Amino acid sequence: MNIEERSKNSRRARTYAVALAAGALALAGCSSGGGGSDPKDSNEPKMESQDITLGTAADSTGPAKDLAGAKKGGTVTVLQRDAFEHLDPGQIYVSDELIMQTLYNRTLTNYQFDDKTGKAKLVGDLATDTGKSSDGGRTWTYTLKAGLKYEDGSPITSKDVRQAVERLYAPYQTNGPTYLQQWLSGEGQKYRKALPDGPYKGKHLPKSVLDTPDDKTVVFHFDQPRAEVPFAVAMPNIGAVPPGKDTKEKYDKAPLASGPYKIRNFKPGKGIQFVKNDQWDPKTDSIRHQYVNTFDVSFGHQWVDSTRRLQADKGADRNGMTWTNVVDPSQISTVLKDKEAMSRSLTETQPYVDVVSINTDRIKDKKVREAIAWAFPSGQYLQQFGGPKAGEIGGGLVGPTLKGYDPSFDPFQKKKYPGGNAKKARELLKEAGKENYELVYAYGNGDTHQDASVVVERALERAGFKVEKKEIDQSTYYTQIGKVKNKYDLYRSSWGADWPSASTVVPPLYDGKNVYDDSANYSHLNVPSVNAEIGKVAKVSDLSRATSEWIKLSEKILSDEIPAVPTFYNRLFTLWGSGIGGVKFNSVYGAVDPTAVFIK
Amino acid sequence: MFRFLARRSLGAIVILILISAITFFLFFALPAEPARLACGKNCDPTSLAMINKNLGLDQPVPVQYWKFMVGIFAGRDFAVGHCDAPCFGYSFVSQEPVWGTIVDRFPTTLSLALGGAAVFLVCGIGIGMIAAWRRGTWIDKFFSSLSLLGASMQIYFVGVLALAWFVSGLGIMDQPAYYPFTDNPAKWFSGMLLPWVVLSLIFMANYSRMTRSQMVEQLQEDHVRTARAKGLSSRTVFFRYAWRGAIAPIITIFGIDLGSLLGGAMVTEYTFTLHGIGRLAVESVQLTDLPMLMGVMLVSSAAIVVFNILVDAAYAFIDPRVRLA
Repeated sequence: MNIEERSKNSRRARTYAVALAAGALALAGCSSGGGGSDPKDSNEPKMESQDITLGTAADSTGPAKDLAGAKKGGTVTVLQRDAFEHLDPGQIYVSDELIMQTLYNRTLTNYQFDDKTGKAKLVGDLATDTGKSSDGGRTWTYTLKAGLKYEDGSPITSKDVRQAVERLYAPYQTNGPTYLQQWLSGEGQKYRKALPDGPYKGKHLPKSVLDTPDDKTVVFHFDQPRAEVPFAVAMPNIGAVPPGKDTKEKYDKAPLASGPYKIRNFKPGKGIQFVKNDQWDPKTDSIRHQYVNTFDVSFGHQWVDSTRRLQADKGADRNGMTWTNVVDPSQISTVLKDKEAMSRSLTETQPYVDVVSINTDRIKDKKVREAIAWAFPSGQYLQQFGGPKAGEIGGGLVGPTLKGYDPSFDPFQKKKYPGGNAKKARELLKEAGKENYELVYAYGNGDTHQDASVVVERALERAGFKVEKKEIDQSTYYTQIGKVKNKYDLYRSSWGADWPSASTVVPPLYDGKNVYDDSANYSHLNVPSVNAEIGKVAKVSDLSRATSEWIKLSEKILSDEIPAVPTFYNRLFTLWGSGIGGVKFNSVYGAVDPTAVFIK
Repeated sequence: MFRFLARRSLGAIVILILISAITFFLFFALPAEPARLACGKNCDPTSLAMINKNLGLDQPVPVQYWKFMVGIFAGRDFAVGHCDAPCFGYSFVSQEPVWGTIVDRFPTTLSLALGGAAVFLVCGIGIGMIAAWRRGTWIDKFFSSLSLLGASMQIYFVGVLALAWFVSGLGIMDQPAYYPFTDNPAKWFSGMLLPWVVLSLIFMANYSRMTRSQMVEQLQEDHVRTARAKGLSSRTVFFRYAWRGAIAPIITIFGIDLGSLLGGAMVTEYTFTLHGIGRLAVESVQLTDLPMLMGVMLVSSAAIVVFNILVDAAYAFIDPRVRLA
């Protein structure tokens, strides 16, 4: 899953938002601690993996339980840095838009977050439950709830779900996730051949793939067991689109709402409003509320701006919030000292893991890769991004939000040596006979990355490397490092699991099949034994066994192949106004959940 | 006068055409591939070809330029729909007609520019005149130092401080934002007040310093001395004789400043999170959105060129010595 960043040549690239210290106002990251060192003041998330449970049919039945003290009415001001570009649920795949669509778009399943514990549970959303599997996990059947309607009052049927899925095969659909399409019709871009024009020329997928025997039933048939279908159909693109009102590309500007809010006044680059959808029936929805009248979202607020306003809590900003803007690294220590503001804040671990990829096409010697991993100063590096409030030092390639995550796994002792273990690295280089090995370290030219590059350069040189720094324009960064034939050895990127299983991390990042331009396999790892193992785990039909197998595989890849150095697991540290209640954290999208927000 | 205006307008059109051509061809000299930007991460050759066709990018660059220019006057048909004249094309990013976005953003820039200009013109000239009037006294010295301080300030510094003190700290000013004047004039005023004041602080310094020096110079001119000798009151001499002479060069600079402001006050817009033309320009550069960039460039250039013509006309009107042939 991508986190939002404007990038010139791949408009939304995979990265953590810290990457873009944009605009004239952004100040350099706090290099000396950045706050968060006082444990009393910081409300760090618990180091436990999220055990997402599969809810029952009863859990999927609405209405959602009312929040204590919740009131109806009012307008919430939402301050966001990056503009939403896509509204079509088929085209959504970046964190800001993922969280935004939860207001108006319903999918077959979805996540429910406990009001008190914040624990996530997967429940039926359009469907009555999380799905029934048969044929050894090869067939999945979903039954739609009664009383589902679009904002125009027309009913939602199984044909609309089929439309939502089949339109993803059309050539204009290029931004959303592809799990379900690929599982149904073939890997890579092969799936598009099954329905080259989508459903627009009267053709449909064969019933042996996608069947809608009646108005309420949707059946998916796969050629191998697929244990994670309930999660895949929670992605925004597996919802409902009415065939008669599917305007293809134009749907991206005005999709029909099935959730409690509908879109009004979308001004690209400027803002958007979400107003109540009176056709939404709370009895059909066990996840969302409709407390607030309007969410008034405006774009272009740099983190310094949103932090200043929400901390000051003056005038209309009392009813203000942000869904993904973090407290700017330069303001973290000020906010931490402000007890009142801290009572209106949350710090939660996000599903995004920052790594520095090692280009395995250029550095073939594993000893050298190992030396880099030992030498890398992950702790000092994280300080440039804001310290403990911006993330925690990462030991492995998968983060704490994933099921089966092992906090003790840290093969290169990144937690013990926040500045890197230069001695060990030197020894390894000596063993390899590669002393004074020359490395090309590429980074985006944002303030934070420039600061971080100095720390990285020093640590690697201490360990006996020679470092050549290559600064890349921030806006083309991901295109440059995404080229298979790039001329760099080390470069950072960030990746978040699409659902809390490492199956959405290991294959896209480390499968040799995914070595192509713009792919997330930035280290170009293509090792036959790893590829074979990925294929094997993908076929495991038992969900909990598969989950732990993926984690084990990710650990094996890091220890044996060293395709990347894990640096940190991202955290969201954010504020909201004193007039706002019902703020929760959506741990799957790593953003503030707006579905239960009310004005006190 | 008419001939002068006609000639200048023709010249302006030539300049605008040149600017458009240079921007257009320079853009295509960039290594960026616009269709690739609009195509997401699941982009395959079919999708790419479709986007190229939809945006008209599959044609040779000169043909694209010709169609772009024709579209401005006659409108254009795209695969995604018709674009009414003046059609500056469809934005690669928002996939909406460029003109609509510019029309949406322009009132913010217009409010910022006109309001800011009113403040800095009145205050700047006023202060300059007082300083010239009381030349050599502490008042003069005080205002001269103040202008020096103002001239050395930057909007992104003063703006951020002003936001922190007056909005977040003391809470005596509203959070800057644009509200349409026609909806609520009071809200429009309070939303724009801080940007106006900050913007004028920077500009005011120039105007007060210029007014002071012009006035001082004028007050030493022969015609002023003659007027004094004739026994006219010092007020009449100051306002009718010296001021009239001093104002001409100020108007010239003002025309250029206002034109540039209407083309977008980027730093001010970013500092106060206003969505005007300047911000739109920066964003379209960042996103390699050529049609948007072209639209903004042409509107901004047109503003500068038009105000220059107006200034020249006004100059000729004010100062009879400058009758242009």
